[in-house]
Amino acid sequence: MPPSPPRLAEWLLERRLPRDPRGASIRGDLLEELRDRTARGSSQWARLWYWRQTIAILVRSAASPSDVGQGHDGDPDRRGRSARALDGWAVDVRSAVRSLLHARGFSTAAILTLALGIGAATAVFSVVDAVLVRPLPFADPSRIMWLSEADVTTGTTCGCWSPTAPSISIAWPDFQDWRAHLTSFADLAALRVQTFSLTGDAQPERVWGRQVTATFFHVLGVRPALGRMFTEAEDRVGAPSLLVITDAFWRRRFGADPAVLGRRLVVNGESSEVIGVLPASFRYNSLTNDAFYVSLGRTATTDSGLLDRGNHNGLSAVGRLRSGVTEAAARAELVTLEAALRRAYPNTNATVDGQLMPVADRLANGVAPTLETVFGAVTFLLLLAAINVAGLLVARSVSRRRELAVRAALGCGRWRLIRQLLAESGLLALAGGAVGLVVAMVLIRLLVAASPPGVPRLDEVRLDAGVWIFTLAASLLAAVLLAAFPAVQSSGVGGQQILVRSARDDRSGAGQRVRRVLMVVEVALAVVLVTGSALTIRTMRALTTVDPGFDPSHLLTVRLFLAPGLDDAKASAFYDLVQTRVRALPGVSNAAFTYAVPIDGTQWGSIFIVSGQPVPARAALPSASMVPATAGYFETLGVPLLAGRLFSAADSSTSSPVAIVNASFARRFWPTGSAIGKRLKQGWPEDAGPGFPWREIVGVVGDVKLDGVDVATPLQVYMPIAQHDVESAVLVVRTAVAPAALTTALRAVINQVEPTVPVDQVQTMDDMMGAAIARQRMTMVMLTGFAGLALGLACIGLFGVVSHGVTERTREIGLRLALGATGRQVMGLFVGQGLLTTAAGLVIGSALGLALARFVESQGVLFRVTARDPIAFGAAVLTILLVSCGASYLPARRASHVDPSVTLRGE
Amino acid sequence: MPTLRPLGEFEYLVLLAILRLETHAHGFGIGRALEADAGRSVSRGALYTTLDRLEGKGFVRWKLVAGGAERGHLPRRVYGVTAKGLAAIRSSHQALARMSRGLESILKHPDA
Repeated sequence: MPPSPPRLAEWLLERRLPRDPRGASIRGDLLEELRDRTARGSSQWARLWYWRQTIAILVRSAASPSDVGQGHDGDPDRRGRSARALDGWAVDVRSAVRSLLHARGFSTAAILTLALGIGAATAVFSVVDAVLVRPLPFADPSRIMWLSEADVTTGTTCGCWSPTAPSISIAWPDFQDWRAHLTSFADLAALRVQTFSLTGDAQPERVWGRQVTATFFHVLGVRPALGRMFTEAEDRVGAPSLLVITDAFWRRRFGADPAVLGRRLVVNGESSEVIGVLPASFRYNSLTNDAFYVSLGRTATTDSGLLDRGNHNGLSAVGRLRSGVTEAAARAELVTLEAALRRAYPNTNATVDGQLMPVADRLANGVAPTLETVFGAVTFLLLLAAINVAGLLVARSVSRRRELAVRAALGCGRWRLIRQLLAESGLLALAGGAVGLVVAMVLIRLLVAASPPGVPRLDEVRLDAGVWIFTLAASLLAAVLLAAFPAVQSSGVGGQQILVRSARDDRSGAGQRVRRVLMVVEVALAVVLVTGSALTIRTMRALTTVDPGFDPSHLLTVRLFLAPGLDDAKASAFYDLVQTRVRALPGVSNAAFTYAVPIDGTQWGSIFIVSGQPVPARAALPSASMVPATAGYFETLGVPLLAGRLFSAADSSTSSPVAIVNASFARRFWPTGSAIGKRLKQGWPEDAGPGFPWREIVGVVGDVKLDGVDVATPLQVYMPIAQHDVESAVLVVRTAVAPAALTTALRAVINQVEPTVPVDQVQTMDDMMGAAIARQRMTMVMLTGFAGLALGLACIGLFGVVSHGVTERTREIGLRLALGATGRQVMGLFVGQGLLTTAAGLVIGSALGLALARFVESQGVLFRVTARDPIAFGAAVLTILLVSCGASYLPARRASHVDPSVTLRGE
Repeated sequence: MPTLRPLGEFEYLVLLAILRLETHAHGFGIGRALEADAGRSVSRGALYTTLDRLEGKGFVRWKLVAGGAERGHLPRRVYGVTAKGLAAIRSSHQALARMSRGLESILKHPDA
């Protein structure tokens, strides 16, 4: 296949060249030469050549449209005013190019600085765009709301989101009432994410899917690519099991077979028919790769738990607003209805309220605060880069005063002079933007690769039109900033005056002042970024020093899904056998099974009651994380035993039911006495029977961080796995060697015992701990990176200002030294001047930093660090002071070495 | 004969290249020849501008030839020098020749 030219360049040529044989032949020439050059050398260089020629041709055709490929049918005198004005601009642009090429070092520094700022901002923006801004693949997504119910025991009812009103998902009967009574919504659908076991025709596997009501696709406005969705009639108890599969699953499992409709799969042991395939563009939540959607309504049987109004079984809802109804109006209606439900069902609903937010906010999975913080930081960096370059330009315009004065004296108008300067800054900004795009491409790859888990839609990150527009806007912003200062400054004085004055070598006035003001702003911005970085570093420190309650090193975990319907005795036998064989592996020091592994998250939270204490009102019943585990679990994890005993092999399905609770649990219910020997029962007070035994508390263990590192430890109840069957369990292995080395051996043992059990991902606990704080780590790394760049830029800027001051005041220094000042005094003068600038920046920056830190704190990005953290602010101030001392010291030292006899003789 | 405006150096080189290349005198060939024989890198923007200017002065004309797969079936403009163009080349060449008369030893052996 012959090489093809860069697509964008080719497109530009097609657009800009005339659509006649002349234009076509030019494109043909370029294409032919590109191929020739590729054949003779590297394709990269050839593409670069193509780009250079494209730009050269476009610049010429833009500068004077009659030049390239258009012959001479346009008489220059008959071309309109605008064309002539354009010629004027073209002249400015050309002379700007020449003047920038002349000052190559300056241009390179300016373009690279801008490219860094624009590139970083563009990269972060492209992630923000994909994750937060770009509309979801639903019809009119802004009209779709996500709804749930919240526990408002400690909070106020407002139908909104707040940390005091945690989501508890919707009770199915409440949802039925919503559907019947809420008029704000054209339609409402309930959904629940689940994993399903697939057996039957191929390798058994565990897949993600969703139970949804028949209205789900209606609400989202999605039509099937093949077949149909299930109907309301098929969304009832007793209906056959039907599957609407996603495009990805259709391709993976069925090889995109168009005759897939009517095929059957065994889902959770039930034969199910494929009736529809969703379009490739559809995806509800990018974090779970849903394989299919099944009816939720048909699972609402009497023994499912769905019919109990007190059960919040992981349901959420989506609803499409009726036209003309606002989000606020819908929320008001929801809150009113929930209040009515509270009155009607005080037993179950006393502390329950509704919650509502746009579905896009929900699917962003809480990454908005982090992304917005990082985006804010990168905007500061962009500003800082632009101001830095503006400082360079001011310095340049000061030293170019003579040139400008000569031009003015020769009759060049003020506007013309400004235009020339504008053309220069515009060119610099655009070049910075172009190089910035390249920087962005590299950074985007790094960002996506280094992103923490849980950031949705990352695979959609790319340089699309929105990102291009952003880059252009960033470049224009930079151009305006760049142009403003030198243009204002050099337009103030008439040509003659400058000529006369510059002869007197009096240059240190306006330029220095403007640069110092810019420097103050620059230092202030750097302070903000460094403070932000210090706060995130402190947050990371706090997170990594949290005691998880167990020893996370040398631990390996793997989740296993047992075949559905396996009876308890067989499951127990399976756990025993695997546990025994794994313990016998070389390098393994202990192993056990548990239902919920620390850090990874609670699998089962439940209401319970304890004996000997009054049963609270239904709405105030306590709940705890229930964790079935095998004997050896606490020993394997290294959780300390505080009182009583641990589980042993004697705790079986036939022995008396027992439980172990954590320290928080014991403290809460028996603050003075001992918990040992007391009893508790999982479930509602009236629940009775073999599934809800009273358990004797035989031990108290230390608190363990179950749900990530930064979440408070819940009440925890452990029970022998033999006394409570679970459909999946995690094998935890304590190793004496590097845990990852045992992965293969572990899989082999499990396959040997039971070949049909799908083995999920094998993870080390260190990795899981890392993933739990990955988001904060990412924020820290990025903010610190930006802060480092900001410091570097501010340092260069300050160095430039002080250094320039020294050069301009050489005569004065010579005079001072001649009159008896010591080198040390002169040095102090200049270091002091640098520090004065820094101090002003520090004051402004600290105030700004404090305000922004408060905002970041309110977004929940910080952990155990307040916005006023004195250590973070102190470190930031100290860093800036040290850096600015260094930046002022070097030029100041030069000043102290001035030889008065040489400078004064120059007069 | 009306006096001709003197040719610019680049125009002169382009015209010579067209004469030498004969039927291969299209944009690609001219660019390559200039880079190979005149030893200078040539911006295509400058090249096409110059060709258009020469055409405007009536020194060159072109005819359209269909292009092959090697250039995506885009057409070629094959250039030829007009009589007026030839006169301009001659006049420039003679001017150069007159000016360099007597300097042969220096021009041929720049180190001498």
